[in-house]
Amino acid sequence: MSAQEIIRARAKELLESGEIATFIGWEAGRFTNQTTPLVITDAADAGKLVFNEYCANTLAKYVTDVLARGKVGLVVRGCDSRAIVRLINDKVIKREDVYLVGVGCPGMKDRKTDEPLKKCTECRHNNPLVFDEMAGENAEKAVPEDRFAEVKEVEAMTAAERTRYFESIYAKCIRCYACRDVCPCCTCRECFVDQRRENWVGKQNNVAENRFYGLTRVMHIGDRCIECGECERVCPMDLPLMKLNRKVIQDMNDLFGEFESGLVISAEPSVLTTYELTDREEFM
Amino acid sequence: MLLSKQNLMPLLNSLASDVDVFVPTTIDGVKKFARLADGVEPDFDMINTTMPPKDLLFPQTQKMYHFDVDKNGSYHIHEYDESREQIVFGIRPCDMRSIVCLDEVFLTKGFVDEFYANAREKLLTVSIGCTQAAETCFCTSMGVDPIYAPNADVMLQDTGDAYKVTAQTPKGEAAVSAWSEFLSDGDAEPVNCDVTLKVSMEGVVDKLEGMYDSPIWENLSIKCLNCGTCTYVCPTCHCFDISQENRKKDGVRFRCWDSCMFSEYTAMAGGHNPRPEKLERERNRFMHKLNFFERRYGMSLCVGCGRCVEKCPVALDITRLIDDIGSYEVAPASAE
Repeated sequence: MSAQEIIRARAKELLESGEIATFIGWEAGRFTNQTTPLVITDAADAGKLVFNEYCANTLAKYVTDVLARGKVGLVVRGCDSRAIVRLINDKVIKREDVYLVGVGCPGMKDRKTDEPLKKCTECRHNNPLVFDEMAGENAEKAVPEDRFAEVKEVEAMTAAERTRYFESIYAKCIRCYACRDVCPCCTCRECFVDQRRENWVGKQNNVAENRFYGLTRVMHIGDRCIECGECERVCPMDLPLMKLNRKVIQDMNDLFGEFESGLVISAEPSVLTTYELTDREEFM
Repeated sequence: MLLSKQNLMPLLNSLASDVDVFVPTTIDGVKKFARLADGVEPDFDMINTTMPPKDLLFPQTQKMYHFDVDKNGSYHIHEYDESREQIVFGIRPCDMRSIVCLDEVFLTKGFVDEFYANAREKLLTVSIGCTQAAETCFCTSMGVDPIYAPNADVMLQDTGDAYKVTAQTPKGEAAVSAWSEFLSDGDAEPVNCDVTLKVSMEGVVDKLEGMYDSPIWENLSIKCLNCGTCTYVCPTCHCFDISQENRKKDGVRFRCWDSCMFSEYTAMAGGHNPRPEKLERERNRFMHKLNFFERRYGMSLCVGCGRCVEKCPVALDITRLIDDIGSYEVAPASAE
């Protein structure tokens, strides 16, 4: 059986048996090779589920939307499973809230160009890290040699060049907040940009406000970014957001040791929410 | 009249020496209308821009007035009017239709928005008909002709080596008569444009009247992220918020685009939110596009440009919704 057939069969069984209330996967969109997230509660809809090389969206963030109905089943690849781990470690959901049908991911493709998605070429964990069962085997995918290649491009700039570079990025931002809304780490009940009484971020669209939003988000995501690359994929203005996220990750690696977020379920505080007396403090 | 394609750039350069001419182009990777200047290459083969041209009339951030208090404690208000003569050259018929919608909102029913009115008065619209459609274009289903924009001041239609030029308003006639050195007499048949994506709007407006509580909204909204992408790339979305920033004795009042997708959009001072979840927000957005606006102004607020279909992060597709509404069976009204 193909992974898609297993996913359909298991979604149907899990919904019919009442083990889960909702199942999240993908269905075909209107256009060639297009998929779109699908959330079903009726086992009769399981036949709509698809799994192919064009499943661009991650699914974990939908769990919180439908959790009130009961246990949630979903398909997880490497990125989806790390997002689930993130949500569990951040105490947004519990492990027993979800039933995870893992699937090996060969990396997804852009439906128009048929080229691998940038986020998938950068992915280091394509197969699920946490799952209740697997739909088929793990998949092979090349792991990028240099996780921080893009960061080096920015670091090679002079301070003035870097200022201009950031300005050119944030001059384009339209503040649709798609990067925040798709992010499995952005789980604040109320985002700082929506706190109008405090007015942390002004509503004017200009480089200063846009940059303040963008860079604050980067720092706030900090040690929680699972590098799924969804923010960069969904940005309608094609801002190079992963460059910024990876800069912070590279700095953390440098200061506190090699680190990747969302690999294991753990109650331990993450790097930036704890400290040790031996931590480097060069700036003090 | 014909404008040979060889004469297009000389005409544009001549126009740009007097006024700001906005053309479709790609700036830092973003397809949008930008002012023709050194280093800006117009691209009239681009099917459509990612960002709609609405910001020429309704900028994302618009200063309205500035206020301050002088040494004697007197208040002063300084109004802003940043409108100026502008030409938008190469706007597509779908985007011209969006200006019909914006005109209705900002200029009719007894409410005239001065900022919009000033900018609109000073804008010359030169539309270029399409020769090819994207897979997401569905303008013909929304009553738009891809090769003809009836409300453009000047209509250019591609005939191969030249554009057929038609002045359609007094403003357009004045413009075209000033372009005479670039034009030649003649006529030619415009190239057609085949729009393949089609949906049926038949019965959709009336059907929506009975669909406020339909499960269709739950199924649709569940995958929405509630980001503002669809509303900001939409050529007809026109909601704005008025706000101010103060520094000591100075302040500025401005308005900026707002999005009905944001929870904050309907949040009230006391904390109540009449559209608390994405279901209510999605329903409002699509009801506004396909029903409310039709009821108030007699036209759809969707022009079929396909930008939201193209850019939605989760491929939430208004054309699929229109199909779903078409095939939806409205329950007969109960006998109560």
